[in-house]
Amino acid sequence: MSKRKFFRNGRRYIILVPVILTTLFLYLGDRIVRYTSTNEFCYACHFHPHAEESWRRSDHYDNRTGIYVQCAECHLPPPGNLNYLLAKAKHGAVDVYGWIFKDPESINWEAKRTVENAVKYTYDESCVRCHQNLFPMQLTPDGQQAHLYYQQHEDDLSCLNCHLYTGHYSELVQEGIQFGVDEEVDREIYTDPAIVEDFVNFTERIPGSAVSFDMVAIPGGTFSMGSPSDEPMRDDNEGPVREVEVSSFFMGRAQVSWDEFLAFYNATAAEGRQDNVYATNLGEVDAISGPTPPWGLPDQGWGMGSRPAITMTWHAADTYCRWLSAMTGRTYRLPTEAEWEYAARGGTEGPYFFEGDPRRFTRDRLWTRIFGPDTTVINSYVIYRENSMARTQPPGTVWPNPFGLEHMLGNVYEFTSDWYAPDAYSLYPEGTVVNPRGPESGSERVIRGGSFNSDAADVRVAARSHTRHAAWQMTDPQIPKSEWWYTDTREVGFRVVMEWDPDWQ
Amino acid sequence: MDQKKSLSRRKFLGDAAAIGAIGALGVGAVVSSCSRRPTYVAPVFPDQAPDGRVLRAGVIGCGGRGTGAAINFLNSGPNLEIGALGDVFQHRLDRCRNELKEKQGVEVPDNRCFTGFDAYKRVIDTDVDVVLLCEPPYFRPTSFELAVQNRKHIFAEKPVGVDPVGIRQVMAAGRMAESAGLNVATGTQRRHQRDYVRTFEMVKNGAIGDLISANCYWNQSQLWFVRRQEGWTDMEAMLRDWVNWCWLSGDHIVEQHVHNIDVVNWFFEKRPVKALGFGGRHRRATGDQYDFFSVDFTFDDERHMHSMCRQINGCTNNVSEIIFGTKGYTNAQNRIWDYDGNLIWEYQYPLGDDGQPRGSVDVSPYDQTHINLVTAIRTGDYINETQNVSEACMNALMGRVSAYTGREVTWDEMMNSSMKLGPETLEMGPVDIPAEPPVPGTA
Repeated sequence: MSKRKFFRNGRRYIILVPVILTTLFLYLGDRIVRYTSTNEFCYACHFHPHAEESWRRSDHYDNRTGIYVQCAECHLPPPGNLNYLLAKAKHGAVDVYGWIFKDPESINWEAKRTVENAVKYTYDESCVRCHQNLFPMQLTPDGQQAHLYYQQHEDDLSCLNCHLYTGHYSELVQEGIQFGVDEEVDREIYTDPAIVEDFVNFTERIPGSAVSFDMVAIPGGTFSMGSPSDEPMRDDNEGPVREVEVSSFFMGRAQVSWDEFLAFYNATAAEGRQDNVYATNLGEVDAISGPTPPWGLPDQGWGMGSRPAITMTWHAADTYCRWLSAMTGRTYRLPTEAEWEYAARGGTEGPYFFEGDPRRFTRDRLWTRIFGPDTTVINSYVIYRENSMARTQPPGTVWPNPFGLEHMLGNVYEFTSDWYAPDAYSLYPEGTVVNPRGPESGSERVIRGGSFNSDAADVRVAARSHTRHAAWQMTDPQIPKSEWWYTDTREVGFRVVMEWDPDWQ
Repeated sequence: MDQKKSLSRRKFLGDAAAIGAIGALGVGAVVSSCSRRPTYVAPVFPDQAPDGRVLRAGVIGCGGRGTGAAINFLNSGPNLEIGALGDVFQHRLDRCRNELKEKQGVEVPDNRCFTGFDAYKRVIDTDVDVVLLCEPPYFRPTSFELAVQNRKHIFAEKPVGVDPVGIRQVMAAGRMAESAGLNVATGTQRRHQRDYVRTFEMVKNGAIGDLISANCYWNQSQLWFVRRQEGWTDMEAMLRDWVNWCWLSGDHIVEQHVHNIDVVNWFFEKRPVKALGFGGRHRRATGDQYDFFSVDFTFDDERHMHSMCRQINGCTNNVSEIIFGTKGYTNAQNRIWDYDGNLIWEYQYPLGDDGQPRGSVDVSPYDQTHINLVTAIRTGDYINETQNVSEACMNALMGRVSAYTGREVTWDEMMNSSMKLGPETLEMGPVDIPAEPPVPGTA
């Protein structure tokens, strides 16, 4: 071979080789992208129990059209652009990490199915890539109104808000479950409330039901309300610290349970929906009209019984107290914010009513994110994000506080009677504040204590939060939205207090 | 003419963009310097709808407007027929049928004429291609939805409902019509009126600068009414006197003034989100409605539209809109002024036989609406005006509810309201709705 011929051939290779390599690269790349998006590939690592089975029972597998909707069609954005590859890389990295380092048994798969989490790996763009027509002829009138609402609020809503179980079947999706049907058959029905003669703990009985609950006597006193500016992980709305005096009162040992709330619901529930409930409730106690039937399952399918009742509105909780007062002849109400914090502290002054540093308990710091938070002490007193398995827990699962109150921190946020203002503490007159009741008006109520979903920093005894009325009923498809039930929070419940007048006897 | 010019301009821009994409920066600079604001070109309406296979229309509601709409439909092009008539009352149906026979030479056979409360169903059940919905507004949502489900093209008079529930029902049905390819034209005919359309083009292209605010008016003399006669049930008396009963008409701010509100929405290209208004009743003879309203509407960017409407004799009348911009103002119909009082633009009306401008457009906007509807059906150039008219109706409703209660009313409240007017059942008998106008401050 002459030198010249070699070069001629060589030049040919210089052109040919990259062309072949590029073609091969593109072809293989495409094959890899395709292969790694098949169900079989997903199953290779995705050992989560029931994912495949629940998919096969869902409308995305078992439907009239005979179309199977595959994993990657929902759990990745629509293919064909960079977002698709980026999302694929992101989810792939997370999956590989989980596969290598995590024990599947320790993963709370149920929690992954909540809307907040599901939106992270289910793409609205992918939903509407197939479901292009939001107003097909077969759509029910309710569906039409829901989609009309969706179109007005697209930025705030995801398809999953209403169609959470479309891709993976869930028992929770069954509609028409009778809510609040009384299952107590052979239990004693109380005819009279408890007799209360002294300022000691007692068990209240709700007449006309088989329901009773414990009330704890909280002797009045003076305490420092709020958190000092050097408390770790605090928020500015927790100060300035004020000297506050509260009178004696009784407080529910536990948060109001489903048993208790259902006694109210069954006794007062309005049959249909009606307007102007606020107006009717201003009248005589006989006329108290209770909650309308909820949309969906307020207990989230977690079970009722002694678990705290959740997702009712402040108005519903307040009406419950007035109903309970009428039934027992005593004055039950929601605690003021000051009463709540006084009771929660139980005489202590730190961030929690037990020993501990929020900085070591929280997961929201770089150190604890990498090495894991300290859970040893807090674990035994609080149901919060690290130990809740993403749901509420019944009483008896953690230790009570020094007053003997359970779940003052964590489990569910508790309504108080105060309006929320970030600067509420600085608005009180100087000196010791006696029985403060919060701002005179406002738009949202103070909620306290944190929930099963809260980080350790947010279950501090001084931590304050508030209702988010509009956001919490965002996806309520009823028109008008329910005054009794929230559709978009699972973290709120309440606890009652009963007023105690020392001269009463 | 204008369209041709703009096409060549668009082509030029397209070509230039293509060159720019290749990397000719110089050309890109030239393009950007001469296309700061894309020019809007108004649609050119045809004088007649094109020929095509026979289209039959069914008329639902055979009163004056139903008869008028039937004639507008027949006028709009070749091969158009009236396929069915429906009305609650026999006498209204007969009058319409006779008029069609005398004026248009159109005969509708007995077996295609239906009366009673279910007449709308039976009209929709026939083989008509189009339905003309001209019944009192209370009935519109029900017949609109049924027409869509039965895949009929629709002409729907305004308003499209009398309460939030009904108007939302129409909004949803309008979207279903869209997904089924059914054309919908509505009785807000100013959007089909050539002078308005041309003025909108001027304003959209910046003739009065950025829009600041608007006023709109429908102040006229007392409207017709029918006093109750012996032997009539409540229902019959109300239906015969429907423009005076809120549950049937929506009150005149919704029933009539919606035209002007729609024009302002059209020019602002958005709808108000708040209304605070008042109204009252001094001279009305029958029914439970007000005879005047004055409403301050607010858009989401704090711009305002003031609306007033009145139906009382012996007062100053005015049916118009006025829209203010940063550089001038317009009556929305045919003229634009600057703030020194100079008329800076005027719509050129076609010339009459005397060589003078006629002062009216070539094709009546009522005919034009049907020409545009039939053209859309026959050419596939789709139209659907449901959302525009629904929004204007919802706005008018905001004004009514605000005036009735004395309270500010928001768009979101209306979209979440369960207010539904009218009796439980529809039959010729007693109706438990008193002839008492609402009293503000008591709700």
